[in-house]
Amino acid sequence: MKAIEIFKELGIEYEEMKVKGNSTPRYRAKVEPDKLEEIIKKFKTQGFKHFVALSCVDWIKEGNMELIYHLFSYDTLEDVFLSIYLPRDEPKYKTLRHLFPQIETYEREVHEMFGVEFEGNDRLGEFILEDWNDMPPMRKDFDTVKYVKEKYESVPLVEGRGDKQ
Amino acid sequence: MTDNPNPLPSIIPEKDWKKIQRMLSKRSLWMIHFCTGCGAMEMPPTMTSRYDMERFGIIPMATPRQADLLLVTGYVAVKTLKRIVRVYEQMQDPKYVISFGSCPINGGLYWDSYNTIKRLDKYIPVDLYIAGCMPRPEAIMDAFLKLMKDIDEGRADGWLRYRKYYDKYRANQMRVFKRWDE
Amino acid sequence: MSIVNILIQSTLVALYLFLAICIGLLFMGIARKVTARIQNRVGPPIYQNFIDVGKLLAKKTNIKHNWIFDFAPLFALAGVLLALAYLPMGGYKMLSGTGDLILLLYIIAIPALGFALGSGASANPNAGVGVMRALTLMLSYEMPFLLVLLALMIFYNTASLSTLLEKQMSFAWGIVALPISALAADIALQGMMMEKPFDIPIAPHEIASGPLVEFGGKYLGMLMLYSAGSVVLETTLFVDLFLGGGVVLNPATYGVVAYVVNYLVWFALIFVVWMIAVFINAVFPRFRIEQAFKFYWKWPTVIAAIGLAQAYIMSVFLGVIP
Repeated sequence: MKAIEIFKELGIEYEEMKVKGNSTPRYRAKVEPDKLEEIIKKFKTQGFKHFVALSCVDWIKEGNMELIYHLFSYDTLEDVFLSIYLPRDEPKYKTLRHLFPQIETYEREVHEMFGVEFEGNDRLGEFILEDWNDMPPMRKDFDTVKYVKEKYESVPLVEGRGDKQ
Repeated sequence: MTDNPNPLPSIIPEKDWKKIQRMLSKRSLWMIHFCTGCGAMEMPPTMTSRYDMERFGIIPMATPRQADLLLVTGYVAVKTLKRIVRVYEQMQDPKYVISFGSCPINGGLYWDSYNTIKRLDKYIPVDLYIAGCMPRPEAIMDAFLKLMKDIDEGRADGWLRYRKYYDKYRANQMRVFKRWDE
Repeated sequence: MSIVNILIQSTLVALYLFLAICIGLLFMGIARKVTARIQNRVGPPIYQNFIDVGKLLAKKTNIKHNWIFDFAPLFALAGVLLALAYLPMGGYKMLSGTGDLILLLYIIAIPALGFALGSGASANPNAGVGVMRALTLMLSYEMPFLLVLLALMIFYNTASLSTLLEKQMSFAWGIVALPISALAADIALQGMMMEKPFDIPIAPHEIASGPLVEFGGKYLGMLMLYSAGSVVLETTLFVDLFLGGGVVLNPATYGVVAYVVNYLVWFALIFVVWMIAVFINAVFPRFRIEQAFKFYWKWPTVIAAIGLAQAYIMSVFLGVIP
């Protein structure tokens, strides 16, 4: 089933995206966080069996966190991006790992890099960043240059020669 | 354990004995390459028939226990640094470190990255740097020859520095690690 | 026997064993050079392995596991020296006894087992996998090898190595009389020496050099001497069984000259056997352990069984008795 037909059946507004040099049809839709699970289930039953990625964008001016669920169908060769917006101050969403098991890993990464909480995922915690004790680093208000100066540039050099050989 | 590092009776003086040891260890550098970044790609041509580092007695080893030379090829993240320190401490003295490419010198491309340490020399003693992004195999061979010369003249003393200033190095390491599981 | 005689005898034994280790190191260096030339490289100088051993023995060593681990390199080196002492090198035999062919089979297993014990004690998972593979490989190549030994014992009607050498000198070399068995023995030898395609236990790219993974510094130097000794041990075993041990002149008639000539001939013969193994090693990839096991229990075993039948027919029905 084509993505356009599914969108029409569900009554969601979508926009078609054009990428230079790539003719794969891509559709982007903004959906309500409450309905996302049902929509992904619908897409999954209609041939969109490949969960490609879960990514996150920090819209600091609007005060939003955008979570993008990226699906692909091998039957019709179409890409679908479903995005939800969460409040930036306290981003919280439920886990969808029961739909696609690989979502768990993406949720762990998004939790670590952006600080989004996923209720129901019990494996959130230290993942890629080891020994991290600051705010999540991919947030736009994180000042990397200042952090680098404080953490790495301030480490003193060990001076002096070794014992004579 | 006695303090005498000289296993032979004093027929050979201590100084000459160390000279012999340096002469042997410069001709037989066994290398473990810690492939952190893109630099690992330059190692196969250096090992294989075009540049052939085995003619200087340098062969890649599989484990740190057997190696004399640690090659850090590329940027070092905090997580990687912990492993590098472990590998370095598992190697047997005398041991040498070559840091490879511009990333372990001052951060290189990752100068403002939140997760890469900028200068490897602050955490473990580095005997030789190869600058470049990436250094070509000729540069690596040149560095090996330079290191052999340094060892011969007794200037490659990183392992002695690590012993002498171990507290300082460990303090520096603990500034970027939250914990050290041992 | 007077005390002077004993002293001379023990000096000779020490000299022979020292020479054997040196020859092993030289052979390993030659193998590296030959492999490099096959791969179109320059390669290290042939004395490179002497430098390596010297460097390893001069290194400071600070590895603490337990006393079995400390004991293992000594165990391996001592085992290989004992086995070398039982093997006639160039006709000169240090220790002797009747039925030492069977004894030798047990002694050859000692260094490998000691080595396995030590690496097992290091509690490294890679070492455990390597030891398991080494013991499985041993199980695989010993099947054809035992059949080959049986064929030799039936044909030459002896289980003593010195008698075997005498009979080979007076009658014909084993490779002439029993060519089929010799072929099976050479295939088994490749696995015994752990050269490719049977370098499964020490596969550096899979299991980080397997049993050697925790050994470094002086321990590794000792183990390098062990492997140098075992190169000589295994090539000499083949030469003694099938190429007459290099004995061309009878020491009883020619005296010291015979010993020198025999030693040189033995050296040339083990060099040839080693070169065959090195050439096979240079061009082959690696088997998996179950492939090696299947291979050994299939082809070399069949060949060895045919060789056994040939030996039996020749000695019992055709009446060829050396």
